[in-house]
Amino acid sequence: MQIQGQTQPKPLARWLRSRWLHPLNDAVAWEQMLCAINPMWSRRDYPARVLAVIDETADTRSLWLQPVARWPGHRAGQHVVVEVEIDGRRLHRSFSLSSAPTADGRVRITLKRQPGARVSAWIQQLRAGDVLRLSAPQGDFLAPADDAPLLLIGAGSGITPLMAMVEELRAGGRHAPLVLVHICRNEEDFIFGARLRELASRWPAFDLRVHFSAVAGRPDAVALTRLLAGTGHCEARVCGPRALVAAVESLYRAAGVAGRVRSESYRGRVLPAADGAASAHAVHCTNTERVFTAGADTSLLQAAEAAGLQPAHGCRIGICMSCQCRKRSGSVLNLRTGERSSEPDELIQLCVSVAQSPLELAL
Amino acid sequence: MSKAHLSPAQLDAFQRELDALRAEVAGDIGQRDAEHIRGVVASARAHAVAGRSLLMFGFDPLSFAAGVLALAKAKILENMEIGHNVLHGQYDWMGDPTLNSQTYEWDIVCASRDWRKTHNVEHHNHTNILGKDDDYGYGLLRMTGEQRWTWRTPLQPLSYLLLALLFQWGVAIQDLKLGRWFKGRMQPGELRQRAAPFLRKARGQLFKDYLLFPLLAFWNWPRVLAGNALANLIRNLWTNAIIFCGHFTLDAQVYSKAEVADESRGAWYLRQIQGSGNLEGGRWLHLLSGHLSHQIEHHLFPDIPAPRYTEMAPRVREICARYGVRYNSAGFWRQYLGVLWRILRHALPLDRRPAGLAPATHAEA
Repeated sequence: MQIQGQTQPKPLARWLRSRWLHPLNDAVAWEQMLCAINPMWSRRDYPARVLAVIDETADTRSLWLQPVARWPGHRAGQHVVVEVEIDGRRLHRSFSLSSAPTADGRVRITLKRQPGARVSAWIQQLRAGDVLRLSAPQGDFLAPADDAPLLLIGAGSGITPLMAMVEELRAGGRHAPLVLVHICRNEEDFIFGARLRELASRWPAFDLRVHFSAVAGRPDAVALTRLLAGTGHCEARVCGPRALVAAVESLYRAAGVAGRVRSESYRGRVLPAADGAASAHAVHCTNTERVFTAGADTSLLQAAEAAGLQPAHGCRIGICMSCQCRKRSGSVLNLRTGERSSEPDELIQLCVSVAQSPLELAL
Repeated sequence: MSKAHLSPAQLDAFQRELDALRAEVAGDIGQRDAEHIRGVVASARAHAVAGRSLLMFGFDPLSFAAGVLALAKAKILENMEIGHNVLHGQYDWMGDPTLNSQTYEWDIVCASRDWRKTHNVEHHNHTNILGKDDDYGYGLLRMTGEQRWTWRTPLQPLSYLLLALLFQWGVAIQDLKLGRWFKGRMQPGELRQRAAPFLRKARGQLFKDYLLFPLLAFWNWPRVLAGNALANLIRNLWTNAIIFCGHFTLDAQVYSKAEVADESRGAWYLRQIQGSGNLEGGRWLHLLSGHLSHQIEHHLFPDIPAPRYTEMAPRVREICARYGVRYNSAGFWRQYLGVLWRILRHALPLDRRPAGLAPATHAEA
């Protein structure tokens, strides 16, 4: 006898979702009604309640969050996309989870305040009891499963996913050497400094090496080699600015073991808008993997069409929204309204926008 | 009332003033606007639930009337203040996929995709240009002496009545370009392709109001069926009246294609103002008309959240006054009677202009 309903959705469930039953089965309406009663009852993404807020340094703050029970659970090193609503706008940003998985499902995110970064500043001022939304955990920036020597390198807030790994490895009772190289400005700026120093004093396998750039300057290739001394190009995880990631990767490439480095680099800050520069910028279309260049004097729609792409369009004067497109990163100027869009993941109108920096578009 | 003629320099200054007004309001958009649209969505849902419940569970004429009115109000709010405005992209900035212009599907038989084309692209771009704006008379009515008079024109009071009663169907089939098909200028294959989204949408809408909800009411089904039909009828008559007041009042101007060749942005603004007409009234009129009572502001700034038109209107009016541009605004009945008068008057072969202007009935593809 054949067991039914294993591979295909059950006929009943399919019938309940049928378009014919609209508006009785209007999932959006039900969702919004549930949310109005209690935001934690939402079925969209994973609502999470703020449990506690902890100051780590002068400009860094951790939030302990309790996601809904159906949250899939994460592994150390992964990140989540956090959704917040600021002044009516939904905004999304990725943050590494800085805690190891816990039995009760609580997670911690740790944010550093950056100049001009609205979302981080907004999340930092949340209090216990507030609700924000998480995506499922994402990413494969994980510690290797084997018990071989491991090198972790982090700079500034790049410590966050590494902290989760350190805690996870500690909980697993690890004996193989674990080296953590951390680069930050000074002692006051050392996120999780006290906790890491305490671990290092009681855990023989754990070797903590800190480089204060306020004293010793930014580590150059020589300083970096010195910091990594004795690690023998073992498996490495790097998280920090692109320059640091590139430096470590080139050391490993020179040793012929480029495959042993896995890295995560936080996205660059908001790109400064170039004023009056008549230069052309590269536009990367993330959906079609096409690249074209757009000057400061032609609209993105014209530039895309000149490059042989055929984006949807309508009025070509900025009123019908047919050519609306999601800008993943970069900065554009709307010639009709004079508005500048420089935050990631904003909707722009191709027919009246010009590039002000290299762009990534969802085209 | 004739059109204002501004010099190119005046038009540029006029445009800068309107652009500055837009920038000022756009910079202030935020929480308040998000709360407004969510509030209207909640209100439309509450009215729909109340209306359908009254129809389904009531027995007396009073609850029938209340049910019909509540359901009609729900449909009007969804159609005008939510659907129309969301599909213009007025709330795209919120980043809420349920209020996004590219994904929203409104609750009338017209498929959103078709409407975005006929309305947002064609009508808002070519407002009141004879031969280019299909909304001008809907290929059915002669609203100005510059349109051709034919032997069918005297029947137009009747065709207008039919259009008003069935307005959502008229809007829905606009992009099918049936006129071209009747004249044998469209292949059946193209018509099938054009009609597919409309047919899909219409099937669902008919099923919901005339089968699903009556069936759910068991023995009360005739009451629910009649109530739903009446609510749809009220919505048709109301939206039709509001939309006809937008561009067909006595003072609304028409344009020929020659007049708008190489039109500057300032001249585009001027045409939007002179081709539109506002309705004066209370808050309820603005809300139930989707703020199309501020048709002039809507045509100037179609992507600004509609409740903002109320605060922009006095300033647009003031700018117009300084440039000697007529700002066409009056109460609902005065404007609507003007519309009806135009329909009656142009049904007769009076006021026929000499050849030279392209007749609008020969709409070009």
